[in-house]
Amino acid sequence: MKSNNFPTLSRRSFLKTSAGVLAASGLAWPEKAQAARVGQLATLIDLSLCDGCLDRAVPACVSACKTINGDTIPPVADPIPVPWPRKTVEDWSRKREVSDRLTPYNYLYVHRAEVEQDGERKTLFVPRRCMHCDNPACATICPFAANHKHENGAVIIDQELCFGGAKCKTVCPWEIPQRQSGVGIYLHILPDYAGNGVMYKCDLCNDRLVRGKQPACIEACPQKAMLIGPRDEMLAEAERRARQMKGHLYGKDENGGTSTFYISPVSFDRINATIKKGPGRPDMKPGVKRQMAGTDPLGKAVLTAPAIGIVAGAAGALKWLAGRKSKLAEGGKKDV
Amino acid sequence: MSDRIVREENRVIRHSVVELAEHWAVALSGLALLASGMFQLPMGSRYYINSVPGLAWAGDYMVSLEVHYAASIVFVAAALFHAVYHGLRGDRGMIPRKGDIRTSIEVVKSFFGKGKEPPFDKYLPEQRLAYVGMVVIIAMLIVSGLVKTWKNIYAPDMSYTVVLWATWVHNIGFVLFVLAFLAHMAAIVLKPNRPMLRGILTGAVSLDYARHRHPLWIAEIEGAEAEKAESPAPPTEEASGSGESAAPPDAAAGETEALPLETRESPSPAENDAPAPKI
Repeated sequence: MKSNNFPTLSRRSFLKTSAGVLAASGLAWPEKAQAARVGQLATLIDLSLCDGCLDRAVPACVSACKTINGDTIPPVADPIPVPWPRKTVEDWSRKREVSDRLTPYNYLYVHRAEVEQDGERKTLFVPRRCMHCDNPACATICPFAANHKHENGAVIIDQELCFGGAKCKTVCPWEIPQRQSGVGIYLHILPDYAGNGVMYKCDLCNDRLVRGKQPACIEACPQKAMLIGPRDEMLAEAERRARQMKGHLYGKDENGGTSTFYISPVSFDRINATIKKGPGRPDMKPGVKRQMAGTDPLGKAVLTAPAIGIVAGAAGALKWLAGRKSKLAEGGKKDV
Repeated sequence: MSDRIVREENRVIRHSVVELAEHWAVALSGLALLASGMFQLPMGSRYYINSVPGLAWAGDYMVSLEVHYAASIVFVAAALFHAVYHGLRGDRGMIPRKGDIRTSIEVVKSFFGKGKEPPFDKYLPEQRLAYVGMVVIIAMLIVSGLVKTWKNIYAPDMSYTVVLWATWVHNIGFVLFVLAFLAHMAAIVLKPNRPMLRGILTGAVSLDYARHRHPLWIAEIEGAEAEKAESPAPPTEEASGSGESAAPPDAAAGETEALPLETRESPSPAENDAPAPKI
């Protein structure tokens, strides 16, 4: 099933992407950032190739991700302030080793699916992490713009700005972002009454992308089951492979489209039916809708509101001016 | 402006129906925006607000976003209508004048028993200053809100710099809007200002109150009336077209009708600037 001509991110593409990432980092002015627009990246995860690294204690991709991000979270406050009035504290700092679900210390895990196909029992391994959606609600409605979809397609939470309100987790169909209480900017403001930590998730190894490297999980995969490249190329490759294996594609349309394409010889309905779901272990329901799509019509109406106000104001004023002019003319006639 | 004295009813028409509609459209949609904006913070569930009957939506970000969008349509359209409508008419009554800051300080002192407040025109000097402040805050909220809306629908990957600017201008504008609203409410609670509440509810204030506190305004209206009575000829096209006259700006040259005072009844409802119905 392996192929040697998979499209990968070329050195040149990486350099171009790096310029875009830098420009989009907030250090550059908007014009510069727009000028450096280079298009979005996407990843492909081929479930026909992933073997779950059964020969290892922890799958290679998960292990690489944990290593790369081991120092991401700063020391956690001790004791962690207990928020008021809902006293929810989420502390994973003493369970950093957990690798079989999403946690603030673990952005990638391998979900196991036991399925039956053609009367044969089969185990599929599904690396799960942020899908880096095309129009991610988690980012667009973050009240502090701590979460943003960058021009290279990576959806990144800035831990210096995040208050840990978990709004992003609520609106994510897979509840991907995970909270660590006791860290972040909220500790310096009103820790008892506003905020509750920082949300963490996969950032597509953006720092590595900037340096022209691949995400750690992709680089570490011994089966080459994961790829990264320009979105169009990745999608074309995913569709080609899905056709070739008479398989299925996940991530193209889900949540309005994502930048992660899973391909599988088994339908995702069946995968979803068999995987164990729970906190930090999201479902994989095909066709999940983008929640914010329902708000778009009103949003578009908002964008027309200035024109409505201007036209109505001009019409009202012109009517008033015309009325006054006719009154003046009428008065003038009477005077004659 | 439709400022007129209705002596037989002891009242002065202070705001037209259009002006009342503008004010209440901005005020009510602004309050809806404040509430739905706050619920865009993750506080509905944390503070059990969504447990309050009728406020279950406070914990649903999609519903509160829809409420925010719906209120924005009214807010943005009303604000732009106000700017264009009054801009084209040449209304300048709310624009601050030289010396307003100094006079405002005197007025505030008078509220606390220090000195006597000066005679006022139609608007108090601090009203003119507050108007500019509110214009700036509303402009901040509208521009940043439109950028955020555009991002939500069409450009989630727009420049992070722009998104950060829009977000924080919006958030700071929100705080300023809350403070301005509280100040607005505090101002109307002050005893000397209370008669103006009737003005923004009905469009008219008591003539006795206006004579006592806004003598410059009444003098302007009466001056214009006397001028019309003496010389029924209409003002020149230039003077009325520019919206300027010998009278101060808020007298709005050309506003007073060239009809004998006794015949001035409630204007036709078809008129844009028709005063509010009598109450």
